[in-house]
Amino acid sequence: MSANDASLHTAVNDLYCEHHGWLNGWLRQRLGNAFDAADLTQDTFVRVLKARSALEIREPRPYLSRIANGLLIDLFRRRSLEQSYLQALAAMPEALQPSPEEQAIMLQALVEIDRLLQGLGPKVKQVLILSQFDGLTYPQIAAQLGISLRSVNKHMAKAMEHCCLMQIQMQLA
Amino acid sequence: MSLTLAERQAISAAARWYAALQSGVATDAERAAWNAWLVADPVHLQAWQRMTAVAEQMASVPGAVAAPALRGLERTRRQVLRSVMILMPAASLGWLSWRSDTPQQLFADFRTTVGERRQFQLADGSRLWLNTDSAVNLRYDGSQRLLDLLQGEILISTAPDAAQRPFKIHTRHGEVLALGTRFIVRTHEQNAEVAVIEKAVEVRTASAGAAIRVEAGQRLDFNKRSSGAVQRSDASVGAWQQGSIIAVERPLAELLADLSRYRRGVLRCDPQIARMKVSGAFPIDDTDLALTALESGLSLRVTRFSRYWVHVSAAAVAH
Repeated sequence: MSANDASLHTAVNDLYCEHHGWLNGWLRQRLGNAFDAADLTQDTFVRVLKARSALEIREPRPYLSRIANGLLIDLFRRRSLEQSYLQALAAMPEALQPSPEEQAIMLQALVEIDRLLQGLGPKVKQVLILSQFDGLTYPQIAAQLGISLRSVNKHMAKAMEHCCLMQIQMQLA
Repeated sequence: MSLTLAERQAISAAARWYAALQSGVATDAERAAWNAWLVADPVHLQAWQRMTAVAEQMASVPGAVAAPALRGLERTRRQVLRSVMILMPAASLGWLSWRSDTPQQLFADFRTTVGERRQFQLADGSRLWLNTDSAVNLRYDGSQRLLDLLQGEILISTAPDAAQRPFKIHTRHGEVLALGTRFIVRTHEQNAEVAVIEKAVEVRTASAGAAIRVEAGQRLDFNKRSSGAVQRSDASVGAWQQGSIIAVERPLAELLADLSRYRRGVLRCDPQIARMKVSGAFPIDDTDLALTALESGLSLRVTRFSRYWVHVSAAAVAH
């Protein structure tokens, strides 16, 4: 461990001792659940450690809550996707339910797909889902949404470009 | 993001092409124009491959599940924000890979998607057919004509070579040397298989001392560790080249598994009818038609929850 690493660890350690209780309370208030709060508190400090910026933090609490907030949103996204996914599965007859393993694989794949779709406008997203996941043709989509064929085409191009750039960004991250 | 301007522009163009070709009403003229664009610049090809990768990622979840889940999201997101729900322990959802394709397969020289079949004429006059979901790299050089079968199934019809270079198919389970011939090679996770239609081939694996000769009308399974005995192949081998599966007294579950190679999503049957024997010719270019044939011919009930989710059960007995 270099001297720099050592002082970084000390800084994170100090930060942890001083603000851990506060952050845990902050998260608990938002999550209403002690287990998730403890997990996210831990994750937040791991992020701080990885970011290697603990030495430059001027205002620790806004800094920590900003990171924690990002993690909170990720968790919400995942939970709500899980819920809507389980609702979709529940609509299937019991005999056709995929195995728990298949379910986990599909959910993970859905989380990744959802990430690609993040930031798309509602109309564009609607067109993409009807085309790529429901398998509708453009004339069918146009009729269903009451928009022109040209718009369907334009929305699709926009959606695919967006998803492609998101995929590249995620691969680079 | 480290994309050049040209790459960024090519992605926009690729997205527009993708959108145009996905319409369900694309014309041949559009396809030809797309093809011209594709080959005009390597950057275009790269952008197109990126677009295909996105489409494949989307196709990794059956539409019947993905569409309502993604659509229901905004609604449930609000509900979740109001009350915290724990539905599934997060720990049980570790990272699981969901795409079987490696980048190597996505960017292969010759490639087909699920349900697609294509024929290619190679530079030496040999002909190559790719069955559904297959990928091949071409590695011809001064001393040999080598095809690298990365995935799926191919049929080869070799042409004599002026330079008398040997013609070989490489798979990760072993190598097949053509002896002026017509044959099929298919690679699986655990092994590969070769079936010869005309003349003969020789199979070489890492373990076998000598090459194994397989003659017309015969087939052989092999992998790195071992190879089975040479067997008589049935007449239906290679029927896919003409667009069908020929089943003679085959268990229903096996036939459905074979049909599902040509379509995306889940295709299953009730366990109690899985062993039922089925015979017939089934079209692979229109697997829905094949299912309809099963339904009417065998009094089965085919339930379609979506185009990605199909279940076959015994028809209810009429009273």
